[in-house]
Amino acid sequence: MSDPIDLAAISDATTSWQSFKNPNWRAPKRRHKPAKQLIGDEQKRIQSKDPSERDIENEVTYSTLQAPPSLKPIKTYCDITGLPTSYRSPHNQVRYYNMEVYDVVKNLAAGVDQEYLGLRGANVILR
Amino acid sequence: MPSSLKVEVSVTPEELQPLPVYPLKDVEASSRPEPIYHDYQTGIPIAIDLGRSTMKIGLANKKSPSNVFPSIISKYRERKLNKTLTILGNDIYLDSSIKSSMRSPFDGPMITNWDTIETLLDYSFAHLGVNSSGKVDNPIVMSEVLAAPLQQRSTMMQLVFEAYSTPKAAFGVDSLFSFYENKGSSGLVISSGHDATHLIPVVSGKPLLNISKRIDWGGSQSVNYLAKYMPLKYPFFPSKINNYQIGNLIKDHCYVSSNYNQELSQYLEMDVLENKDRVIEAPFLEVIKVQKTEEELRIETEKRKESGRRLQEQAQKARLEKLVQKEQEFAYYSELKVKLQNGTKKLILSTLQTEGFDNEAALDKYIANLDKFLKRVRNQDLGIEETEEIPTFPLLEVPDEQLDEEQQKEKKKQRLMKANYDARMRAKLEKEEQKKKVEEDALKDKQWRETDIQGWIADRKAKLDKLIQRKKERRRLKEELSDRKSRAAQIRMKNLASLASDDGPGDASNRRKRAAVTIDNDPNDTFGANDDDWAVYRDIALVDDDEAEEEEEQALLTLEQELLEFDSEFSIEDTFYRQFDWRKSILHRFLRGPREFNPEDAHQQHQIHLNVERIKVPEVLFQPSIAGIDQAGISEISEDILLRRLPQEKGFSGDIQQDILKDIFLTGGQALFENFEDRIYNDFRSFLPVDANLRVRKANDPILDAWRGMASWSTSSDSADYFISKQEYEEMGPEYIKENRMGCVRL
Repeated sequence: MSDPIDLAAISDATTSWQSFKNPNWRAPKRRHKPAKQLIGDEQKRIQSKDPSERDIENEVTYSTLQAPPSLKPIKTYCDITGLPTSYRSPHNQVRYYNMEVYDVVKNLAAGVDQEYLGLRGANVILR
Repeated sequence: MPSSLKVEVSVTPEELQPLPVYPLKDVEASSRPEPIYHDYQTGIPIAIDLGRSTMKIGLANKKSPSNVFPSIISKYRERKLNKTLTILGNDIYLDSSIKSSMRSPFDGPMITNWDTIETLLDYSFAHLGVNSSGKVDNPIVMSEVLAAPLQQRSTMMQLVFEAYSTPKAAFGVDSLFSFYENKGSSGLVISSGHDATHLIPVVSGKPLLNISKRIDWGGSQSVNYLAKYMPLKYPFFPSKINNYQIGNLIKDHCYVSSNYNQELSQYLEMDVLENKDRVIEAPFLEVIKVQKTEEELRIETEKRKESGRRLQEQAQKARLEKLVQKEQEFAYYSELKVKLQNGTKKLILSTLQTEGFDNEAALDKYIANLDKFLKRVRNQDLGIEETEEIPTFPLLEVPDEQLDEEQQKEKKKQRLMKANYDARMRAKLEKEEQKKKVEEDALKDKQWRETDIQGWIADRKAKLDKLIQRKKERRRLKEELSDRKSRAAQIRMKNLASLASDDGPGDASNRRKRAAVTIDNDPNDTFGANDDDWAVYRDIALVDDDEAEEEEEQALLTLEQELLEFDSEFSIEDTFYRQFDWRKSILHRFLRGPREFNPEDAHQQHQIHLNVERIKVPEVLFQPSIAGIDQAGISEISEDILLRRLPQEKGFSGDIQQDILKDIFLTGGQALFENFEDRIYNDFRSFLPVDANLRVRKANDPILDAWRGMASWSTSSDSADYFISKQEYEEMGPEYIKENRMGCVRL
């Protein structure tokens, strides 16, 4: 080990006022909005625009960029091993590859089946 | 024949080499604080690639960004100084205690904490060595998320123009800058970054943003996905795997499969696993057992023997001493007795009392005991087998009338003793008989085996089959009982119900009669009269009968042992437990790879195996449904863009498509996955006409090329018209933008 690193000095250097900043600048009070809210606000802003100014056909916004759902049949895979399969357990909807995996699927601890399903967004969400 | 010379080598499990083991890599600690550069010049554009995971910042006249650091901040309380410290970027890795409280200013793709962003920008300008006062006297080029909400850009412009008083600034999308750096003109930019994957068709340098698409899957989602999956795969893994380690696993071991379903279906086969299974070991403290040398072991046993001998000697000595003492005692008391025979009654009593006896009988008994003891010891020493005397019970024969009270008591005692003795004799006899029977059976069995080996084997095999059948049956029943609606469970409920209700068929008077009787003299209660009645308890008990199970287990093993010994056709492979060979178990191969698992081995306990996950994680880009994303994958969306959405309609004839197909361009952190180009090529071929001219390429440096593109664009004439000056910002406000070819779009 070389000489110890002075973390306090590093911290002071980063938090002190930097000379290259505009001396009149005061950071405004900002609200921390989560991404979801930002996207929702943006949606509202766009909808409130004057329709005559909008070119709906070619408009580019965060939401128009979103990829559409797939039109192809979804391939199914074993939730435990990831191998291709078409079997699904009638107890808990978990997909399994063969009899051996089914033994595991049948005896999954409470909640674990939902965790497996959650990985592919098929879990039951209680609100 | 030459082929007959070839010696066949059969690979037995013992000959299998251990698989290479990779370490589970954590983030690398920094050894020195982030340096400050001193070659700052005013006027030269500063390019800032505001990546969601890493920020890259540098002067545009450099080849590479001078500051590359993770965009995270940590505010933590330093105990010694009693002060809150703010540490960011690479400096966070200086000390492991800082890592615990770190935070990112981003929520997914969006900037949510602007104070942190401001601190990060302060920090990066300071480290660039900016020394102009009152303003950052450089044009600024900054990356932004494609079509991010207006609030994002306007707040950023406020920061750039108001806080730093930059003379002019321009914005653009990182992937297009990367395309620019790689001299792209027409093509399809596929950029898979930290938070999302963008597909942007570009025609002669102009991006067609209105038909571009974004798949909400990037590096961070991959990490989260695998981080959720690994604890499910290894629920009892002894150490926690953090997200850095997961990130490193993905970076080091995952790759895009060029043909997913084909590769997947064979992934867990032994010979495939041999090459593709990755063993990763988490760091752990190993307890090292000191191996003793043979010499040490010998000395140790010698010592043990020596101390044992000494102990024996001591015991022998003690025994001898005791014997001598008893002898003396015996002699003394015998003498006393002889002396007393001639004494007066009074003298006798006083002498006895001083010696500690109540009366003469007590003394006699004591002497008799001593005598017995001495005789026994003497016999033992001489090796004479002692024969148990048959005790006599003389009083039992005499009728009670002829006995006084004391004798009657004695008679009762004798009766008890006799019963005890008889029982002991009976048990002894039974034991002997049983032993004889076992011997006889073994002999008979042996004779049977010697005369009719086939019949004997058939009998054993039938017994074995029966046992296995019962085992399976037990298992099935157990499973069925766990389901409330199954037939077995319902029969059990029925039994319970009929046992619980006392009311059989019968009229009220019958019931009244029944109520009058107690539990002991109920004339209707015939339960137990028939031995089979008790079987009902077995029926209603749950099948967790460990004792019976163990017994059967033992019987199974002995049967197999016998068959192994005498049936030449019955090999170890046929035994019940070999049927569950790990080689045949898909779960074993999935969890433990192509080697046997030893749960005692500390190394193996700390190992995880990546196999299917290696291709499964990157596959989400092509089949987002795997991770529950309701969007189409890269190939399907590209197909849609290329065949249906490009401006020149009516399918595949225009020049634009042909130009674009010649340059399918991959960039962003996830483009580093091996085989990515191959997969894109294969997938695109499947929907393109045979004669289409298709070329897929990867950015020279999928991570840094965005910054390099920003630097070279900002210093070239291409950017001249697209900078917004501080004056323009002040006049027109943050919504004013100059749409450039780098994806900066009017919102």
